[in-house]
Amino acid sequence: MSVNRETHEQLVGGILQDGLPSLIAAAHELKAPLALVRQLSLMLEAGDLTSDEQKRMLEQITLTSERALRLTSDLTRSTRLTDALFELEPINPQELCKDIVRDLTPLFAAHGRDVRLVPRKHPLLLVANRDLLRRIILNFSDNALHYADANSVVRIQIQAFRGGQTIRLGVRDFGPALSSDMWKSLKTKLTNAPQPVHARPQSSGLGLYIASQFAEAMNGTIGVTRHRDGATFYVDLHASEQLSLL
Amino acid sequence: MKTQTVLIVEDDAWLAEQQIRILEKNGYNAVSSPHAIAAIEAVDDEHPDVIILDVLLTGSTGFALLHELQSHTDIAGIPIILCTNLASDMKLDDLKPYGVKRILDKTTMEPSDVVAAVRSVLL
Repeated sequence: MSVNRETHEQLVGGILQDGLPSLIAAAHELKAPLALVRQLSLMLEAGDLTSDEQKRMLEQITLTSERALRLTSDLTRSTRLTDALFELEPINPQELCKDIVRDLTPLFAAHGRDVRLVPRKHPLLLVANRDLLRRIILNFSDNALHYADANSVVRIQIQAFRGGQTIRLGVRDFGPALSSDMWKSLKTKLTNAPQPVHARPQSSGLGLYIASQFAEAMNGTIGVTRHRDGATFYVDLHASEQLSLL
Repeated sequence: MKTQTVLIVEDDAWLAEQQIRILEKNGYNAVSSPHAIAAIEAVDDEHPDVIILDVLLTGSTGFALLHELQSHTDIAGIPIILCTNLASDMKLDDLKPYGVKRILDKTTMEPSDVVAAVRSVLL
């Protein structure tokens, strides 16, 4: 068993290499969707499927490829954070999250799950880069999709903290609970992460590491709250002072 | 003759769906569990003849489930087929004490390999 433990440690702990996401972590994250696409393609090639089954498999291939492409795109972006300028601007998170929910609904529906935005009566504005913030929420949503129970609803929430100075965007999933021991173990495994945010066992933590880099580029932080029946992954960003003008 | 039951412990629902489809086409009764906790319940409910187990699962790894299965004498004998992306890092001999009979590499396997593996461990 030692070989396997070492492998797992290597995958989980070796997220960074010279300050950048390691090849092994990236390869690990991409293996699963690529293996699935390959299996589905082989099934299609073998034939003996109804037209509905074929249609469903093609949709699964498309959606799985899109998820993998999002990761590769995030990886590229994260390695260029240091030498790129990211314009920060006042953003209405509710509008951004509405767009994200609209884009993700087909993916969630194909998995027998749903994603919804918890609406706010009063608008909030935060300071962020639209593209990076979108990538963070997509990342959290992908994570939630994987861990959420079948037929459950993943909720995207927007809240104000510290007297309205901090805006929190959270993605809440409802899935199997992690024991305290497991939670502690995960914290230990991901000490490479610059912020105290921790992946779950199946993940190498790469996606969350990238999200933390994106948040940092916007002077924000990411975090996670464990619930009895799931988790909320969130990003905290500065509120825009333009809020008072609304 | 009783239909043999295969429990697939796989957190990728779409992959599990395909494995169930191909196993059922080949005359097996196949059920799936997305994580170890559900798998333990399924072992009690379904009494599977063989378990196909992914390693990196939601909640706890497949190795935790292997340990749990081995700790119960009545289910410790159920043959296990590991089906994982980490196959190239594993040695069957190291895992035999945990009931693992075969290892399938998700990155290179053919869909029909699942059926062949189940047949071979049930011989």
